Amino acid sequence: MRSVGVVVILAVAIALSISMLIARDAVTTKINSVRASTGNTITVSPKGFYGYSGGGTPLTTAEVNDLLDLKNVTSVQESLSEELQSSQTSLKSPTPSGTLGGRFGNFGGGSGGSTGSDSSGTTFTIPVRIIGTNSPGNALVGGANGGGTEKLTSGTSFSPTSKSNVAIVGATMASKNKLKVGSTFTAYGKTVTVIGIYNSGSTFADSDVLMPLTSLQTLASASGQVTSATVVVNNVNNVTSVTKAINAKIGSKADVTSTEATTEAALAPLNSVKTISTYTLFGAVIGAAIILLLSMLMIVRERRREVGVLKALGAPNRSIIGQFIAESTTFTVLGAVVGFIIGAALSSPIASALVSSEGSTTPASGFVRGAGGFGGGGNGFTPPSGTRLPGGGLHATSVSNTLTTLHTSVGWSTLTYAFVFAVIIAALGSTVAAATIVRIRPAEVLRSE
Amino acid sequence: MLKVDNLNKTFHTAAGDVHAVRNVSFNADNGEMVAIIGASGSGKSTLLALLGLLDAPDKGSIDLDGVELANLDSGGRTKYRSSQVGFVFQQFNLIPNLSARENVLLALEYSHWPKADRARRADEMLALVGLDGEKSRRRPARLSGGEQQRVAIARAFAAQPQLILADEPTGSLDKSTGQKIVALLRSAASTQGATVLVVTHDEKVASQADRRLEIDDGVLAEIA
Ligand SMILES: Nc1ncnc2c1ncn2[C@@H]1O[C@H](COP(=O)(O)OP(=O)(O)OP(=O)(O)O)[C@@H](O)[C@H]1O
Ligand SMILES: [Mg+2]
Repeated sequence: MRSVGVVVILAVAIALSISMLIARDAVTTKINSVRASTGNTITVSPKGFYGYSGGGTPLTTAEVNDLLDLKNVTSVQESLSEELQSSQTSLKSPTPSGTLGGRFGNFGGGSGGSTGSDSSGTTFTIPVRIIGTNSPGNALVGGANGGGTEKLTSGTSFSPTSKSNVAIVGATMASKNKLKVGSTFTAYGKTVTVIGIYNSGSTFADSDVLMPLTSLQTLASASGQVTSATVVVNNVNNVTSVTKAINAKIGSKADVTSTEATTEAALAPLNSVKTISTYTLFGAVIGAAIILLLSMLMIVRERRREVGVLKALGAPNRSIIGQFIAESTTFTVLGAVVGFIIGAALSSPIASALVSSEGSTTPASGFVRGAGGFGGGGNGFTPPSGTRLPGGGLHATSVSNTLTTLHTSVGWSTLTYAFVFAVIIAALGSTVAAATIVRIRPAEVLRSE
Repeated sequence: MLKVDNLNKTFHTAAGDVHAVRNVSFNADNGEMVAIIGASGSGKSTLLALLGLLDAPDKGSIDLDGVELANLDSGGRTKYRSSQVGFVFQQFNLIPNLSARENVLLALEYSHWPKADRARRADEMLALVGLDGEKSRRRPARLSGGEQQRVAIARAFAAQPQLILADEPTGSLDKSTGQKIVALLRSAASTQGATVLVVTHDEKVASQADRRLEIDDGVLAEIA
C-alpha cells in the first residue's frame, strides 16, 4: 500500500515535471520561431512625428546616412512623407468623402492651416500622401514593418538615386484619377509621370504615391530632409544592440522603434509562461527527488530489522543494497512511466491554457495608419501589416497567428532530460539507501523492541 | 567443536563504558546443546553477537573446528555467517514478504548451497520442523508464532551450520509451544551435528540442555 502511495506521488511529480518540460519546450520553440520570423529592421523617425498629424523636425539625409557606419547595419532606407493639398496637385484623394472624409478634412484643414474648399464641407478632399523613398523595391515588398503585400501590377519601379519626376501610384489612387503607366499628374506645379502601379490589397496603402526621394525633396523644397528611415540590420540578434547605438547617436532627435522591441513586447507573456514553467519544472523535479529520497529513507528505516536479519543470514551488503536499488528503480520507473503518460497527456492542454490565458493576442489584421502609424512613423508607405495598439501594447498578427497554432510535442531533448533526471534521482535515492544500509549493525537484530 | 577463550567486549557510551562481556571462556561439542542463563542486561545477547560475528570482540579468540574467527575481516565474517552460523531470534525475524519456503531458500542461497539441491533441502528442513505442505507457501504473517519459529529453525539449520545461536527462542511463545520448539532445537542439534547455544530465562528450557552456563555482569560460569 505504501509502495503504491510512493509510486502515485512520484508519478504526479514526474507528470508535472514532464508537462512543464514539454510546455517549456513548446513555448521556447514558439518564442524562437516568432523571433526568427520578425524583421531585422529598425524604424527611425523624427521625434514627435506622427503620420498625418505632422509635427517634429525632419531628420536630414546626412544624419540618417551616418547610421550606415554603425556596426551590423546593412542598409538604410530613407523616406520623406509629404501631404499635397488639393491646390498643390491635380490628384484627388480616393479616400471616400462623407462623415469620415469630412472629419478628416476638418482635421487636416485645421492642422495644415490650408483649406481646400471650406465653404462646402461635403466636397472637401483630404490631402494626397506622397512618399519619397530611396528603396522602392524594398518599400514595395517589405519595409519598416516587416513587409507588406504590395506588388507592382504594371510598369516599372524607379532607381533609388533617381532624380526624375516619376512616380509609382497605388491602385486605388490610380483608378480614382484614371492613371495608367505613362499618365501624368501635377504636383508642386511640376508634371510627374506615372511609371508603375502597385497593389497592396489595402485601400489606405493603395492611396499613396511613391516617388524617388531626391525628386520629392526637390519638389517639396525639403532638400536633405527625411521623415523616416528604416535601418536594416544584418541579423535579428543584433537588432537590440543596433537600436541602442542609433539611440546613442541620434536619440535626441529621433524616435527609434525596432520590430524586435514590438515583438519582445508581444512575446513578454510567452516569456513569463516560460519562466513559470521553468520554476514549476525545477520545483517538480526537486519535489520528485525529495519524495524519492524521503521514501527510500523511510523504507530502509522501516525495514531496519529486515536488513539486520539479512546481514545475520550472511547476505553481503551489495546484495542487500542491490535489492533496495531494484525496489527504488521499480518505483522510479513505474512512477516515470505513469507520470510520463499523464504528463504527455496534460502538457498539451496545460501549454495551450497557459498560452491562451497569458498571450491572448488577437489583433485585427490590417494596419492603423490613422492612429499615427506607430512603428511606421513617418514612413507611411509600407503599411504596418497587422499592427494594432491594444491599450498601449503592440502585437503583430503574425505573432498571434503563430501563438494560436502552438503545438506541444515531445522532443528527443525532452526525453533525454527526463531520462537523465530520472537516473539522477534514482542514483541519489540509491546512494541514500546504500549509505543507510551499510550503517545498520547486524547485532541490532538481537535487540528486542 | 567451539572453543571460546578470554573473550571481551566493552561498549563506549555517552553514559560511560559498559563492559558487557568479560574474559569469557568455554568449550562446546558438536551436537551439544548448551543453555546460557542470566539476568537482563547481563550480556547474553552481546555474547551471542560476538559468537555469531555480528559484532567484533575487543579481545579474545573464537575457534570453530580449528578455524580462528575473531580476527576475520568483514568479508570473511559475512561468509562465516552465511555458512557456519544459524540464528534463531525471539521475534522470529522472518522476511515478511517472502513465504516460509522462500525464507529457507534465502538462507541456502546466501550460503551458496548447490542450486539444484536448494528446493529439496528447503522441503527437507520444513518437513523436519513439521511445516511442509500448504503452510510452507504462506507468508509469516499468516503463520502462528510457533509456526514462524519452526520456519526460523528450518532456516537456521538449512545450510548445515556448525553453530546455532538462539536468543530467547521461546520468549514470544506460550509454555507448551516453547517446549516443543526447544525439543525441536535439541533433536535438530543431534541429527544435524551442530552446536546449539540457547539463551533463555526459562528454567524449564535450560533444564533440557546438555549443559548450563550462567552469565552475570559479563562474567560466564558453568553451573554444575
Ligand atoms: N550496542 C550497544 N551499545 C551500548 N551498550 C550496549 C549495546 N548492546 C548492549 N549494551 C549493553 O550491554 C549490556 C549487555 O546487554 P545485552 O543485550 O547483552 O544483555 P542481555 O543479557 O541480552 O539482556 P536481556 O536479557 O534483557 O536481553 C547492557 O548493559 C546493555 O545496555
Ligand atoms: Mg538479550
